Amino acid sequence: MSKLTPALLVAVALFAAPAGARPLVLAVGGEPESGFDPVTGWGSYGNPLFQSTLLRRDADLALEGDLATDWTLSEDGTLWTITLRDDARFSDGTPLTPEDVVFTYNTARDAGGLVDLTGFDAARVSGPHEVELKLAEPRISFTSRLATLGIVPADGYGPGYAREPIGSGPFRMVEWREGAQLVVEPNPYWHGGDVPFERVSFVFGSEQAGLSLARTGAADLVAVPASQADTPPDGMETLHVETVDNRGLMFPMVPDTGATTEGGAPIGNDVTADRAIRVAVNRALDREALVTLALNGHGRPATGPADGLPWDNPEGALPGNDPEAARETLDAAGWSDTNGDGTREKDGRDAAFAIVYPAGDGTRQALALGAAQQLREIGIAATPTGRSWDEIRAMMHSEVVVLGWGAHDPSEVYNIHHGDYAGIGYFNPGFYDNPTVNAHLEAAERAPDFEASLAEWQAAEWDGETGFGARGDAAWAWMVNLEHAYWVSECLDTGARQIHPHGHGFPITHDLPDWRWTCAE
Amino acid sequence: MTALEILSRGPGGTRGGRHPLWRGAGAAGLVLLILAAAALMPEPWLDVNAQAVGRAPGPAHALGTDSLGRDVAARTLAALAMSVKIGLLAATASTAIALILGLAAALGRVADHVVGVLTELVLGLPHFVLLIMVAFATGAGATGVIFAVALTHWPRLARVLRHEAQTVAASDYVATSRALGRSRPWIARHHLAPHLLPQVVAGFVLIFPHAILHEAGLSFIGLGIEPHLPSIGVMLSDSLREIVAGHWWVAAAPGAGLVIVALSFERFGEVLRAATAPPEGTP
Repeated sequence: MSKLTPALLVAVALFAAPAGARPLVLAVGGEPESGFDPVTGWGSYGNPLFQSTLLRRDADLALEGDLATDWTLSEDGTLWTITLRDDARFSDGTPLTPEDVVFTYNTARDAGGLVDLTGFDAARVSGPHEVELKLAEPRISFTSRLATLGIVPADGYGPGYAREPIGSGPFRMVEWREGAQLVVEPNPYWHGGDVPFERVSFVFGSEQAGLSLARTGAADLVAVPASQADTPPDGMETLHVETVDNRGLMFPMVPDTGATTEGGAPIGNDVTADRAIRVAVNRALDREALVTLALNGHGRPATGPADGLPWDNPEGALPGNDPEAARETLDAAGWSDTNGDGTREKDGRDAAFAIVYPAGDGTRQALALGAAQQLREIGIAATPTGRSWDEIRAMMHSEVVVLGWGAHDPSEVYNIHHGDYAGIGYFNPGFYDNPTVNAHLEAAERAPDFEASLAEWQAAEWDGETGFGARGDAAWAWMVNLEHAYWVSECLDTGARQIHPHGHGFPITHDLPDWRWTCAE
Repeated sequence: MTALEILSRGPGGTRGGRHPLWRGAGAAGLVLLILAAAALMPEPWLDVNAQAVGRAPGPAHALGTDSLGRDVAARTLAALAMSVKIGLLAATASTAIALILGLAAALGRVADHVVGVLTELVLGLPHFVLLIMVAFATGAGATGVIFAVALTHWPRLARVLRHEAQTVAASDYVATSRALGRSRPWIARHHLAPHLLPQVVAGFVLIFPHAILHEAGLSFIGLGIEPHLPSIGVMLSDSLREIVAGHWWVAAAPGAGLVIVALSFERFGEVLRAATAPPEGTP
């Protein structure tokens, strides 16, 4: 009950508020641990609220200008020239200058990797409304940073900034009570037009607290777990948002040679190192059934790490739910059940592996169970195994793990498949390393513009001969893309929405300034 | 346990006339039945089934299905077997440790001191924190749970046994026996054992449901029985979510199963205690 108390207090306070332009109340989580400072990572998903970015992505994920009116990349791909609008002001009324942009990028670079600015060299002022961003090497995925790094004021930035942010975004802060709620009001100086809400409150706390707020009518938009999504309270409707928040089976790609990481975690798995096993798993999985089982039908089958995004290549996928083809693949590779125990063997080794899932995650548990059961049909003995994340970190280089990704940024495709990222954090835990795929990924980063990079990203997944996709090396067996469920007030129009990234909740605020009330007061 | 005791005694506070042996046989029979049925059950009965999610009890599934379409009846049976095994193992180990330490304390002043300090030390730590530490140190999963519950439930019983052993050892009739030339083993068998045995039995019975509960707690935080395997604790914690959606049967079967097994154990313990209590007064 103690967790509900703050939420109820908020509810009482909201009901007591004087009638007028209706304030908007959201319970979508997303409270940043380190405050609202873009330099330390605030704002990569959803709306940065207080700050604005040079570029932004529209509902189709195409880039459009925000602070920038014009942006060009030099022919060698290492110099961005960005023209800024001249009417942008911070919420304290001071104008936003090129110096602020330069200060933000250089400070973020020096902040020690809290924002991924790999390959970024330095920024400088090159005109009254123009900045130049210099890269050490061509890196097209830096474009995504232009759309996520909020600009901070060079003068007002200091140690206390994260708690009292000043920016050129659509909102300014009224109050932040950590762990309880954040209240913001429109920034009168915002260059983007009027925001139709007098105030917006973000209520933090447990999922249950959010649900209670929705049921009492105190919240207008709440993130809800899929299991409860279908029973919204009166006056609200369920919104299922398509995402690339995906889940798949990550395969260890190298044989077990006794090698270990620096931390002593074993590397390699003799069964999954055989491509035939990985391809057979991809062919056998009935992903529609997994969506029904694990997501209550609220999702779609996944065949790659970025389904439906511009850099996805559907050609790299293999049709699933085909146990016959899977059996043929295994037979051809010499895996057969000679001793009649229901599990195939090859060279005295059983076609058996664990499917590790984080014990606290019901969705991944259901996926592990469903996948294991489907693989039993083709003679692969997969054992679901629930572990804590700490244990998984020590197991993920040698066992199959249910992992998930999904971002509006192709550099993620790079990070989880490039050989250089083998064993770096959660990137590429399977030690996948294919020189051709690496070359495609590097070529994509060197592309002269974002459009031109798409073909190389796609070739990395499948180029007609090889790739990380199921038709090539089958480095993963992707299973499902989640749908994120929300309850939304029937009076609220949230407009057109992007396909959402990994993370349920705050990403829905991406177009918050465009939302509208549709009911008369 | 108070509620269980009241339940098992009935409203009158006194026990009805059936022979103690019957109750013991009943409890043991129930446990054997659970273990045998779970062992003989075909494995596919525990499979997930996307086509039968959240079914209410009916002809196809007598006790309904859970959120992954698993048959609740089959899962409850397998879970009870798992819980009974872990409970028995942990209770036996804890009781043995407590008995050894309790008797050791009666050997001399130094041994008594060591046992006392050890007991207080373990009791001083929050029990669940200790469970987590032991489970983590011995490797999570079923092994970790067994070690954790076996190695942390002995202190209360050890303290009781130590006290009991000291009281008996300091009593007049033990002094008299010794003066009459009775040997230490004779005193241990004829004076110590009759007083300790009821405490041991009571301790065993008390530890059993605790062991099951703590197994559930460890499983809940991901250190115990893996959440996809059938165990009463896992099923009950899963059912919290399902009850909100109106699926009462997901909690009903494992809950009722746990109560029945715990209750029969309690009765079994009562019977044993009655049968082994030292005669009171002069014959």
